[in-house]
Amino acid sequence: MTVDQIMGEVRGMLTEIIGTEYALSLDIGMDTSFDADLELESIEFVRFATTLKGRYGDRVDFVGFLADKELEEIIGLTVGDVVTYVAGCLTFAGAVDG
Amino acid sequence: MAEITAGGVRFHVQRLAARDRTRRLGPPVVFIHGLCLDNLSSFYYTLANPAAHAGADVILYDQRGHGLSERPRTGYRISDSVADLAAILDALGVDGPVCLVGHSYGGAIALSYAVAYPERVASMLLIEAHVPVPGWAEPMAAAIGKVGLDLTEGDLGRWMAEHARLAAIGKDLVNHTTLMTDLLAAEPLSARELQMLTCPVHAVYGEHSDVLGHAHLLDSLLPRYILTVLPDLDHFVLLRAPRALRPIVLEWVTAWTAVGVP
Repeated sequence: MTVDQIMGEVRGMLTEIIGTEYALSLDIGMDTSFDADLELESIEFVRFATTLKGRYGDRVDFVGFLADKELEEIIGLTVGDVVTYVAGCLTFAGAVDG
Repeated sequence: MAEITAGGVRFHVQRLAARDRTRRLGPPVVFIHGLCLDNLSSFYYTLANPAAHAGADVILYDQRGHGLSERPRTGYRISDSVADLAAILDALGVDGPVCLVGHSYGGAIALSYAVAYPERVASMLLIEAHVPVPGWAEPMAAAIGKVGLDLTEGDLGRWMAEHARLAAIGKDLVNHTTLMTDLLAAEPLSARELQMLTCPVHAVYGEHSDVLGHAHLLDSLLPRYILTVLPDLDHFVLLRAPRALRPIVLEWVTAWTAVGVP
């Protein structure tokens, strides 16, 4: 998968989590921040982590990625940080072609 | 596993496996969040991972009506919450004793669960716990009821404006479920029932907490009780100072997972 494809999937997941009503007013991209832009609640971030695990499986250890971060660091992440992390995991797992 | 159905209700559950495999596992640690505007994420990003790192299998769940769990219109008495917890642990195949961490109203559930199922609780850590004794529910209901109003000012109004989607869940709970009437109708625990609790209980309260009286009430009733009062903090200890709680949780988890260390 390419980074653009992962970005597209992640955009779809986030749209479902925050609702189309909120998501339509935003152009979710690599620079979008979870806190300042999406205003993602902590529980929604838990759902996002679960959705990522459901989509990419054990190749992406997102809980491990978050485990050593403080809450302020987590909500300070951008969508691009997560997409880049996922792409790195998939590359490591030999699953990326782009 | 993210979802299970227990007692006919769909619950959002998160499990974190113990990271330190050099220890033989003690009882799982179950986190119980507070009422109305709270959910499992209060623990997920603060105390749950450190507990797993310290060697505990961790279970977190959103109570009915909260977070990502189903929001039925009824079933919000404390006895329902106790039955929910028992059904969730049954569904997860956890049949031995557990260690409970209860925050605020979650502390009331933990205490009530331990009274109902003393053999299923090894130990409790209570953070700013409400104690469901006679007269306890009215002030809590008065505070929770404000969530159902269209507040725009004050700390709560501003918070709800900034957290519109969470506030919508809280409003729905207060205005369209039996949560308020169930809260007021809950059967309180008696002094005798609390005196019969033999498992160790460690309670943590903020120095300026509005429920600090509950800390001293527990001190007068529970046979095995330790109290830590954190200076300069109010009821929102978990929100404002998770780092102050972490060493307390780690020491408690270590004591309870150190069973049979080779």
